[in-house]
Amino acid sequence: MRMRVVVAVCAACFFGLTLAEAAEPRIVSADGSITETVYALGAAGSLAGVDTTSNYPPEVRSLPRVGYLRALPFEGVLALRPDVLLTTVEAAPDKTLERLKRSGVEVIQLPVARSPEDTMARIREIGRVLGKDAQAEAMVADMQQRVERIGAVAGNSPVRVLFLMAAGNHGVMIAGRDTAADALLQALGASNAMDEVSGYKPANREALLASWPDAIVIAESRPGQFDIAEWPQLAALDAWKKGRHYVGDSMLLLGFGPRLPQAMEEVAGVLAKVGRVARNGH
Amino acid sequence: MYWLKWAGLPVMVIDGAGRLAKGPALLMILGAAFAVSVVSVSSGAYPLSTADILAVWMGDLDDEVASMVLFDVRLPRLVLGFLVGAVLAVSGAILQGLFRNPLADPGLIGVSAGASLAAIAVIVLGGTWLGGWLDLAGVWALPIAAFFGGSGTVLLAWRIARRAGQTSVATLLLAGIAINAIAGAGTGLLTFYSSDEELRSLTFWTMGSLGHASWDDVAMAAPWLLLSLCAAPFLARPLDAFLLGEQVVGHLGYNTDWTKRAAILIAGLGVGAAVAVSGLIGFVGLVVPHLVRQTLGAGHRIVLPASALAGGTLLVGADCLARVVVAPAELPIGLMMALIGGPFFLLLLLRTRIA
Amino acid sequence: MLLHVDGLGVHLSGKPIVRDLGFQLDAGEMLVILGPNGAGKSTLLKGLAGEHKMGAGQVMFVGRALSNWSNRDLARHRAVMPQRVEVNFPLTVEEIVRMGRPPEPLSKSMPVLSELMELLDITHLRHRLAPGLSGGEQQRVQLARVLAQVWSTAGPVLLLLDECTSALDPAHQQQVFSLLRRLAKQRGFGVLAVAHDLNLAARFADRLMLLHQGQSYISGQPSAVLTEAVLAAVYGLSARVLELDEGYPLVIPQDDARVSAYAEPSLSRFAPLNPSCRQAS
Repeated sequence: MRMRVVVAVCAACFFGLTLAEAAEPRIVSADGSITETVYALGAAGSLAGVDTTSNYPPEVRSLPRVGYLRALPFEGVLALRPDVLLTTVEAAPDKTLERLKRSGVEVIQLPVARSPEDTMARIREIGRVLGKDAQAEAMVADMQQRVERIGAVAGNSPVRVLFLMAAGNHGVMIAGRDTAADALLQALGASNAMDEVSGYKPANREALLASWPDAIVIAESRPGQFDIAEWPQLAALDAWKKGRHYVGDSMLLLGFGPRLPQAMEEVAGVLAKVGRVARNGH
Repeated sequence: MYWLKWAGLPVMVIDGAGRLAKGPALLMILGAAFAVSVVSVSSGAYPLSTADILAVWMGDLDDEVASMVLFDVRLPRLVLGFLVGAVLAVSGAILQGLFRNPLADPGLIGVSAGASLAAIAVIVLGGTWLGGWLDLAGVWALPIAAFFGGSGTVLLAWRIARRAGQTSVATLLLAGIAINAIAGAGTGLLTFYSSDEELRSLTFWTMGSLGHASWDDVAMAAPWLLLSLCAAPFLARPLDAFLLGEQVVGHLGYNTDWTKRAAILIAGLGVGAAVAVSGLIGFVGLVVPHLVRQTLGAGHRIVLPASALAGGTLLVGADCLARVVVAPAELPIGLMMALIGGPFFLLLLLRTRIA
Repeated sequence: MLLHVDGLGVHLSGKPIVRDLGFQLDAGEMLVILGPNGAGKSTLLKGLAGEHKMGAGQVMFVGRALSNWSNRDLARHRAVMPQRVEVNFPLTVEEIVRMGRPPEPLSKSMPVLSELMELLDITHLRHRLAPGLSGGEQQRVQLARVLAQVWSTAGPVLLLLDECTSALDPAHQQQVFSLLRRLAKQRGFGVLAVAHDLNLAARFADRLMLLHQGQSYISGQPSAVLTEAVLAAVYGLSARVLELDEGYPLVIPQDDARVSAYAEPSLSRFAPLNPSCRQAS
């Protein structure tokens, strides 16, 4: 008797779950910040799979992975039987996308967000796809508020910031123009100390010294990846010695996803110190 | 050199019964090719049962997605994989005969690297310096560039390694190292200057992939691959003579220079076209002819066709693995081949040394 | 006239190796070229085999300039055995011998292959892989391959053989040279062979030609060429030459005056410095 109840409850749970899932579209998300947004909007249950750039939140690691968003395998995506492939314009190869469309998968390619406005537009779009418009609206409103508050704090004297990407053991890349890092600095009203470089380029230790930035931001793909002990040139910079630096997760800093306000707040905190120093100096 | 000790190995199937075994051996490889093709068509991330496949194949099942998976994804992939594997193995066999050296793999002497450097140059510089070339050659720009990169490198290695009518094995391999390094540097330089967009195409070239094969790719590459495959048997007899030494080729009545040029052209064309559609795939050209020679003898009339069949089979088999092991994602086939071929080659070296 | 060479010169990287050389070879004749190391014997043979460009002079083969022959025709009438053939690939003896044959079904090649392998005493090796054979065995395999090339040729045949017995033991040397002589006499092959063994050459050749510094020092009947004076002048060899009753000379090297002058007395006393001309390699 009790056994039967248990079975019935289990079955109910099971059917309840499947029914709930059936209501939402099955989604493969091929972009780290889109995946983040899907989680933030509370639609994790509709995710059938993600790509290798999706690492946040940590729960995402239990989902099947279809490879890199720039080399999506047709069968791999199709095997997850998604209704929607939610990705960015960076997704490739075109052949795979086109074949997926022909197989009845709705391929939604969102623009790459490089500003708070883009980010908010993208969140609204994702909310619409997920049928979570209200949640998306609330998130955007909160974001709007926080971004405005930061803008008020940042002040108007442009601060020169050196933005670095820690990659691998000893490799550090300089973020130049036309990068997400540059976009983040722009959003904060700061200027890039390396704007003569385009894209991410391997760092030259002397150039680090020569740049003499007001502040330093370092994005690392794993916590603890960047070790200042390996970079005496950086440690010798005034900005480092005076504590005007921030080391943070690259997905947080460069994802332009739901955590953008948090990223801006963190960096703005460092920039504010520059302002104080500058004011003190005058 | 280690291959002098080959006779120390058990003489496999080459004596008496060996001659009888050649026909059945070819049939066996053919059977394996067929088997692996069936496996290739029926394996993949997308779940399709054998019954489904048969139904779709016979036109009994009207499932658009299933038929697309089967006809537009797995079949072109199978065809391209087989052709590329066959051509790489045959090119390897030809180059090894020409250089009289079982180590003359298109990868080791830098042919593949040269071809892929040319291809990458077209990708990265297509918008700027090589714009004219792109306008001129259109969709053929890439394969033609890969072909010239490939055959140019063979010529270069050939020129460097030859002195007074002899090809120095050591110089050849050293030249290969240098050529690979230079091509690698060129690739690195282009990577450095490439945009994000271009970079994504580059990874494909350096890792090798059959994952995105379509009938368009087959249509583009197959004529060159088939040309190279069909022309190769004509070289079988002069290549046999090459095994005895370059001067013997002339003594036996073959035109030595013509043979060399034809061999370089065929190998360069084949490897170039293969690299153009599938990127860098190593070890097929080394491992397959080596195995064939060990089991069926070194005469090119058997080595060339057997290498073609076995090369195609091996690559298709490796591709099956590549798409299954990390499904739903895929391993690049070049990586897969290196994973299979590297240890295998070491094993061969060790075995021949011990024997 | 099978082969007519007139004023031949061959240069190697600018240096004249063979100069102003002229000789003739008839069908059915066996001419052995002798000479010290570096005299230009191999270069001459390579020139005639088409491996080196001829710098000067004229070579007529069966009444036609050698350069006017097509590769294929030439291969039917002229077979060449290089000094060294190294086989790095797992080819069997039979496969190598068969390489000499034109494209033809195996059933047609087989009688020729069997006959040649029998003649050169390599039948027992037919399924062995060439890289594992001894130097002498390899040489016999190559010779079989060379003969296979012209075995079925109707018409003139020229064999160019560069030290084709250098790695053979005396019995096989004798076997090979008498085979060559038989081929010349019975089938009319013209044989031009480079050799080092004076007595072997004297015994089997119709004529000898002694090369010295790229030129013909002397040529003619063995007994005319192999004289004590000539050997001393060309080789710096001190030897006694006996004219045998069979009609050919026998060269017996003497204790070398020059060597004993430098060598330690004890050594020259106990070690018989009597290098045989039949020394193999």
